[in-house]
Amino acid sequence: MIEVRNLTKRFGPHTAVDNISFSVTRGEVVGFLGPNGAGKSTTMNILTGYLSATEGEVIIDGTDILEAPEQVKRRMGYLPENPPIYGEMTVREYLNFVCRIKHVPKREIRDRIEGGLHTVGIVEVFNRRIGNLSKGYRQRVGLAQALMGNPEILILDEPTAGLDPKQIIEIRKLIRKLGQDRTVLLSSHILHEVSAICKRVMIIHEGRIVADGEAATIGDDLFDTSQLVLTAIADRQTTEKIVGGLSDVTRLEVLTAMEEGTTELLIESERNRDLRREVFEAFSKSDVPLVGLRMRNMTLEEIFLELTSGVQEVTG
Amino acid sequence: MTAILARELRSYFQTPTGYIFMGLFLLVTGFFFTMGNLMNGSSYYTNFLGSVLFLYLFAVPLLTMRLLSEERRQRTDQLLLTSPITITDIVLGKFFAALVVFLLTLVVTVLYALVIGIFGDLAVWETVGGYIGFLLLGSSFIAVGVLISAVSENQVSAAFFTFFALLVIWLIDAIKGVVPQDTVSGTIFAAALLVAIGLFFYLNTKSWIAAGAVGIVGAVVIVVLHLVDPTMFEGLIVETLDWFSLIDRFDSYTLGLLKLEETVFYLSFTSVFLFITVRIIEKRRWA
Repeated sequence: MIEVRNLTKRFGPHTAVDNISFSVTRGEVVGFLGPNGAGKSTTMNILTGYLSATEGEVIIDGTDILEAPEQVKRRMGYLPENPPIYGEMTVREYLNFVCRIKHVPKREIRDRIEGGLHTVGIVEVFNRRIGNLSKGYRQRVGLAQALMGNPEILILDEPTAGLDPKQIIEIRKLIRKLGQDRTVLLSSHILHEVSAICKRVMIIHEGRIVADGEAATIGDDLFDTSQLVLTAIADRQTTEKIVGGLSDVTRLEVLTAMEEGTTELLIESERNRDLRREVFEAFSKSDVPLVGLRMRNMTLEEIFLELTSGVQEVTG
Repeated sequence: MTAILARELRSYFQTPTGYIFMGLFLLVTGFFFTMGNLMNGSSYYTNFLGSVLFLYLFAVPLLTMRLLSEERRQRTDQLLLTSPITITDIVLGKFFAALVVFLLTLVVTVLYALVIGIFGDLAVWETVGGYIGFLLLGSSFIAVGVLISAVSENQVSAAFFTFFALLVIWLIDAIKGVVPQDTVSGTIFAAALLVAIGLFFYLNTKSWIAAGAVGIVGAVVIVVLHLVDPTMFEGLIVETLDWFSLIDRFDSYTLGLLKLEETVFYLSFTSVFLFITVRIIEKRRWA
């Protein structure tokens, strides 16, 4: 549905987006993840036709956005980083205006607005001036705006920015619901947010996509080791000795123990080599109580840091 | 376009801008009408129209400063430019909104003419002509303001630069009389224009080769023309300034003459400025 090929955007000498290619199929909910200034907003601005790319193309359902901008824009709803609202207008006037520039047929405008108000939960502020609304309401008015044209594609730039925790949960729920019958592309610099809403994650760093995959498994290919963390009631030497007797341990690291009298160790083995059974048996043979043993999964946070620091080393 | 127009019109009267504009315009015109026509018992209404022309310098910036600069500053241009409407729709909608407010204000001043019509001798056709000229001149100035609003970062600088640009246009008529008319100065002027065009090319393409090529071609053209017929450069400065001379052209309207030439000039002037505005906004996406 969305096909991006070799997209590059330069602002003078600065390259904001660097040769990005990806495609999104119909009905997917995809998250762009990256630190501030990674090129997420620029990419979204190009996808929606606000900016033009220096190089590369964006194809929506087989149509290049430069060839038929109006047809393509009809099918997209966009919530930019700052909701594009007019402070002097009331919510009613604003949504009416949006419907008109989105070419919503006159007789459908009423229902469309009504539906939007309920979907994003702003019925109670319908007749108030947007300039007097709180940040959370403004953000939701912005979201309602993106829905007015009943778009098949929703592009949401940091949709939960500036909201309080309760609103964030509501908006996430809403986006998941919208994603059931729409293609959604959203950006965030908050990791757990992306994994909470999206199945697929693209990590962007310094204008490049450094990883693209399912939120649950995106880290698997990045790390060539399995890691175990164990806690034993014994001193460091004893513990290290027992572990040292195991084959296939590639690395061993002493962690700071939480409890007094215990030792915590991190042991690494090759990927997909599960050492838990051996570890348990070794400790029980030595008659040392093993009180904790767990696989250490890479959190999205670590994946993110790993990826972005790696790129920095290469480019810097 | 109508959606933009309607929103913009509403916004004029939801913010103080529309009221300040109308208030200022009617206050000053009322003052001049009272002093010039009522107190003096004069029925020369076209004199009145001519004497309030200077009001444009202050009133037009007020009307146009916000139009495009605020969209950009508030980032609402992201909504407009990602909606299925064209940039021409946006620019025209905004231009006509300003023109409608201006027109509404002018309609109120028709009351002054009616007063003269009832109590004195109103030169009807001169007055109608004066109003048409007034409107055409206004639309040209508004187009200048729209363009400047599109390139300004905020409404204050838009207002300032619009005022400045209108002032320059205002002074052109005065400057015209004193600029040198001879061949040498005309040639120097042509060369200066050429340098400006070359620089423009460089700024747009960032390539000295393209700019240099334009410069060389232009220089050859100037030299050849100069060899063929030096008198072509006579009065070149005046002729160029004449393109921007808006005020002089207004006079013929107050005589009750509707000259096609002048009307076409005002309409073209307006269109060219609006067209440039569209191009500038279009081009900014590629920046």
